[in-house]
Amino acid sequence: MSLHKLRLAAAVPVTISTFSSRLFLKPFPNTLTLGLFSRRLQPRKPLLVRAFSASAAVQDIPANQTTVSSVARRPQWKASIDFKWIRDNKEAVEINIKNRNSNADLDAVLELYENMVNLQKEVERLREERNNVAKKMKGKLEPSERDRLVEEGKYLKESLVSLEEDLVKLKDELQHVAQSIPNMTHPDVPVGGEDSSAIRKEVGCPREFNFPIKDHLQLGKDLDLIDFDSAAEVSGSKFFYLKNEAVLLEMALLNWTLSQVMKKGYTPLTTPEIVRSSIVEKCGFQPRGDNTQVYSIDGTDQCLIGTAEIPLGGIHMDSILLESALPLKYIAFSHCFRTEAGAAGAATKGLYRVHQFSKAEMFVICRPEDSEFFHHELIQIEEDLFTSLGLHFKTLDMATADLGAPAYRKFDIEAWMPGFGRFGEISSASNCTDYQSRRLGIRYRPSEPLQTGPNKGKANLPATKFVHTLNATACAVPRMMVCLLENYQQEDGSVVIPEPLRPFMGGIELIKPKLK
Amino acid sequence: MSLHKLRLAAAVPVTISTFSSRLFLKPFPNTLTLGLFSRRLQPRKPLLVRAFSASAAVQDIPATQTSESSARPQWKASIDFKWIRDNKEAVEINIKNRNSNANLDAVLELYENMLNLQKEVERLREERNNVAKKMKGKLESSERERLVEEGKNLKESLVTLEEDLVKLKDELQHVAQSIPNMTHPDVPVGGEDSSAIRKEVGCPREFNFPIKDHLQLGKDLDLIDFDSAAEVSGSKFFYLKNEAVLLEMALLNWTLSQVMKKGYTPLTTPEIVRSSIVEKCGFQPRGDNTQVYSIDGTDQCLIGTAEIPLGGIHMDSILLESALPLKYIAFSHCFRTEAGAAGAATKGLYRVHQFSKAEMFVICRPEDSEFFHHELIQIEEDLFTSLGLHFKTLDMATADLGAPAYRKFDIEAWMPGFGRFGEISSASNCTDYQSRRLGIRYRPSEPLQTGPKKGKANLPATKFVHTLNATACAVPRMMVCLLENYQQEDGSVVIPEPLRPFMGGIELIKPKLK
Repeated sequence: MSLHKLRLAAAVPVTISTFSSRLFLKPFPNTLTLGLFSRRLQPRKPLLVRAFSASAAVQDIPANQTTVSSVARRPQWKASIDFKWIRDNKEAVEINIKNRNSNADLDAVLELYENMVNLQKEVERLREERNNVAKKMKGKLEPSERDRLVEEGKYLKESLVSLEEDLVKLKDELQHVAQSIPNMTHPDVPVGGEDSSAIRKEVGCPREFNFPIKDHLQLGKDLDLIDFDSAAEVSGSKFFYLKNEAVLLEMALLNWTLSQVMKKGYTPLTTPEIVRSSIVEKCGFQPRGDNTQVYSIDGTDQCLIGTAEIPLGGIHMDSILLESALPLKYIAFSHCFRTEAGAAGAATKGLYRVHQFSKAEMFVICRPEDSEFFHHELIQIEEDLFTSLGLHFKTLDMATADLGAPAYRKFDIEAWMPGFGRFGEISSASNCTDYQSRRLGIRYRPSEPLQTGPNKGKANLPATKFVHTLNATACAVPRMMVCLLENYQQEDGSVVIPEPLRPFMGGIELIKPKLK
Repeated sequence: MSLHKLRLAAAVPVTISTFSSRLFLKPFPNTLTLGLFSRRLQPRKPLLVRAFSASAAVQDIPATQTSESSARPQWKASIDFKWIRDNKEAVEINIKNRNSNANLDAVLELYENMLNLQKEVERLREERNNVAKKMKGKLESSERERLVEEGKNLKESLVTLEEDLVKLKDELQHVAQSIPNMTHPDVPVGGEDSSAIRKEVGCPREFNFPIKDHLQLGKDLDLIDFDSAAEVSGSKFFYLKNEAVLLEMALLNWTLSQVMKKGYTPLTTPEIVRSSIVEKCGFQPRGDNTQVYSIDGTDQCLIGTAEIPLGGIHMDSILLESALPLKYIAFSHCFRTEAGAAGAATKGLYRVHQFSKAEMFVICRPEDSEFFHHELIQIEEDLFTSLGLHFKTLDMATADLGAPAYRKFDIEAWMPGFGRFGEISSASNCTDYQSRRLGIRYRPSEPLQTGPKKGKANLPATKFVHTLNATACAVPRMMVCLLENYQQEDGSVVIPEPLRPFMGGIELIKPKLK
């Protein structure tokens, strides 16, 4: 199994600790650093932006919108981005940014990185001078000479403090700008926009109806299954109540999905649905700004999850896993909340695009060399599930411009929705390689020492590496309901329940119109 | 089935529409109304306040906290002020018994002021009409000028007074909304200790080995992860893992299937709602001590219980009597800040920020609400008996009732890890407290036996429905009971028989092999 290049960042620890040592040194022009920060006055480039996978198409926030009031705000966390690798692979990164239609500013990153490296060198030079002065003062000295050294030491100290502050700011700035660089891309991914996505597989064919069909909204109303009207009063548009058999169908879908996926060795979970916004960011979503998909809680730094991927990514945050514990395979059930800001123009009819829904989500944490294998396992599980339910669908290898920043490769499944008369996305499976783990700080320690010289590793422990993370929809309930209701409707207005779900809804085989 | 008195408000429609007619009248001292509003300067009395039923004990917000004093109410409760005035003593005693800080004197004073001002407005309108009438005839030009002047003055005064009247009505709403529902005559008067035991089932299991609490069992059996959730979300959040996930699903599926057999319609609900709905159900969505999470930049909040979207589903509607009762069982996630619960029993799953719950809700005719209250508590008792829990049902004393409840039955189950009983459910009859706020009425099928002058087009007048709510299954507290009561000496936990078919036949949660 070959592993593709995608390292975006290395574990270069930020040596903040060295800043605390305080000695003396020689005057230094404070103005030197001014040029480094003139960039601050330009409109800020957008940070990482990503639409939720089963949601609106990947969109970039226009550069002039993200003047996110947070310009001066210090980042609360740092991604372990491998700037050296980016610099050494400048052309590949540039092409990748272009292919993915990203507005990441590589030149700015490289310039800031060079400035940062230079400033770091300058800081080190001053430290050395300061040390020299300190060393000189240890000997016996004329009082005038001692005074001169004291004075020089004082100047050096002041300059160093100032430069070190500048260095911290420059590193923050670099983080801000560099976080918008997308993950690298699997070499097999088709380059281009949505139309370029390659069909990986196609299952079934559209059902032919010999009667006038209804869409799921009409079926939901006629069968007393879905109530959008009351929800509009109580909550707002794009909220809904499920009623009667629809409630049982949701439970059956989730129970059946869980039982199927657990058979493949996935551990079931339920997750918090309120999380700190930093976790949302670390997973590659943008919790703030006008166009955000994320609901924030008033008066806290918490938000509602748009997908269980977020609390799943967070569960092993800032930890070093044993290689023997990998892979970790989870299937989580959660409710998901999305503002759907800016989705006014998109297909918004009925259950297709809603503010709150139930979803079962798969998540894998594995060694880098295994992520491609698990990506195929995930898409296979999805295809098996939807095949069992008798859906007509196709699997797409999504083209570069359709990938969110964290994805190295993404397979979407689109199923036939007769009411819409077209295919609609029902699931998405992404290999995020180390994009998320470098932000979430999820590493593992290989069991076997690396085949490197004896000078590497401390206490004979092999160095830690970043894990790869993958996520995939197992069952996004409302979209499944669109498919099931519309595809399994009968001439008499009833809807047949697919065979695998029946044992999970008390043996119900048919949803019939209620007697009033 | 006897129906107890509890009418808090009648459908006296607020005659805002009359304000729009604009004619002329006579000068009127503007200063008259000043006295009416001096109250505005005093610390505002708290509005309706209610802790979520399966949550912290009923608490009142200190009077000094409700800051948004000058905000116009976005909605009005149909409070029957006339009834309150005519039953002043009963209302006063009720407020005292329920340990409420509602200010009845202020309500009555504002109501009198409002009536007086309304009379004054009507008097001025009449004068204005008289002036207008006079001007229709042939008049000397000096007389006409005098009348024009007088009409102008009257008009100006009326505009001012009408504005004052609107403000006074708003003020009255604010202050009156804190008056709690009346109380069922059988409810014991007093604090928590006065609550009467209605029923007791089973006895505490005796263990012949050192027991673990659910937190320890959850850790040992790899079922609950609080530590990761604390990093990702904050304290009092959790992940369920492995069999705990299946147990949650089994509990909900089994509960739904049992309650549906009693004719309850299953629902899932929105978990983000407009904050006005939260208020109308009798919860306080704002303020320092609120239990409610608000969404940033909107007027929406997260629900603390499915009771809220259930109350809202028929808001502002007139139901057919033949459609009643409406009986629902809803599954939702619930979100609570648990502000101020630091001192309470906060260990493990007992008090958490997010949990799954199946909630029953009934909308019925006033004469049926007592019957359905007993049906609800019976369903709860049957469910918990089937699961083999040791519990008691309490008729909660007056001081323990939230503002909307006319009567409340709590069930407390034995939790061996705590070594005490803990609340696992709550069933409240809210009579017309919520329906008067949510605007849920019904039209009786048969005309009332009143004279022919009532009712328009022979339709009987609408009446407010009664609403009831009751916990069917609050998952985390059920887990506390099940894990702690069904633990075995070897560290495993037995699954109660009724749940097994709903979790793939699993009979036992065993320690995992590492």
